[in-house]
Amino acid sequence: MRFNEKELVCLSRQPSEMAAELGMRGPKKGDVVKRRLVKLVVNFLFYFRTDEEEPIGALLLEQCHVEREDSQTFSIAFLDEAERKYLFECDSEEQCKEWMDSIIKASYEFMRKNLIFYRTEIHRLTGKDPLEQYGISDETRFQVNSGSQLMNRDTSSL
Amino acid sequence: MKLHEKILTRFLSCTSPVDKEGYLYKKKERNATYYRRWFVLKANLLFYQERPADRHLLGVIVLEGCTVQMLDSDGFFPFALQFGSGLKTYRFAAGDAQTQGRWVKALFLASHSYLSSLLRVLGRQYEEAKQQQDSTNSSSSFKSLSPPTNSLLVPTLAPFSLVREGRSFSASAALPPPSMPTKMAAKKSPKKWPRRNAHVTPLNGPAPLYGEWPLVGSDPLVEFSKLHDFYGQEVQKAREEWLRSRQTEKEQSEKDLIDLG
Repeated sequence: MRFNEKELVCLSRQPSEMAAELGMRGPKKGDVVKRRLVKLVVNFLFYFRTDEEEPIGALLLEQCHVEREDSQTFSIAFLDEAERKYLFECDSEEQCKEWMDSIIKASYEFMRKNLIFYRTEIHRLTGKDPLEQYGISDETRFQVNSGSQLMNRDTSSL
Repeated sequence: MKLHEKILTRFLSCTSPVDKEGYLYKKKERNATYYRRWFVLKANLLFYQERPADRHLLGVIVLEGCTVQMLDSDGFFPFALQFGSGLKTYRFAAGDAQTQGRWVKALFLASHSYLSSLLRVLGRQYEEAKQQQDSTNSSSSFKSLSPPTNSLLVPTLAPFSLVREGRSFSASAALPPPSMPTKMAAKKSPKKWPRRNAHVTPLNGPAPLYGEWPLVGSDPLVEFSKLHDFYGQEVQKAREEWLRSRQTEKEQSEKDLIDLG
């Protein structure tokens, strides 16, 4: 599958609040813990060899389950592969909590749900739709029932 | 760099919202030919394949750090995703103007950074609205409420519009805030301000298109003074225009003898 690799690498070089050297272990049997520079940018988790500029890989943080493994370790598992976990060893309990929190909150879908909550609440409290002033109140992207595929299917024929 | 594809393909087929899908033509740079592809836009990812029923995905475009440009052409409805100097420009074409407009808007609103900015703004509005409600509910003898402390910080995104620039249109709305320099190492400092999501701006990308309002970064105090200056200028301009229009009105009214009483 093709993807915009160069652009993604460029994205990985953006400044990020969440960037640290952690112990990282892959999901396969036999994978060992390796020191990696782990960096959270938008909803991607990039990981680098500590002295390299280009990341080794990128994990999309959607449909994933973040779990505490022990006081300083957390794991990320992806949909329907609950046993295949990526493990991350932190230097402290606080760092571990911070990472878990940030990863969960970085998910696009998590943020979308929050937006819909705020929109609904603001409308309830003030009587006004906060998205109107930005000309995006009709966008299905920010609707409560935005899961409807029929609404978003473009029926124009090419 | 390895992009864990399975995670993406799983995300595509899961029940999270499809933000837009449909046929578009995509230009292949190699032979400058447009091929019809089925596109699925989900969150900040644009997937494409030959047909909707296909299991085989041709590719995905991560929509961060790009600008959307609606291009002008007769009988042809092109638009582009531009990632900036040294980086790709993806070219597309729609079958008609309406489809073109809808896709341009959808792609513009798709980025994580856009959602992040919007969330920040709405979060503040929500807190204000709650505070206001709490003060109205409490049994206080004061009837008037003091204005929300950061009301001027609320409009940080411009309304979406398509701006014509020469022969091409650009989406005009505030883009993600400029990236703040941060250390690479993890910080354990106490957070004075609410945590912000990672900012995204292409390092070598084009200058961001700013809408009518300047973007507020995450430090309200710093940005407040900028906003103050900005609004000051806007008010000045508006005043001058109004005075000018009053002048012409005056001149005209002296000629007309319409009784407006």
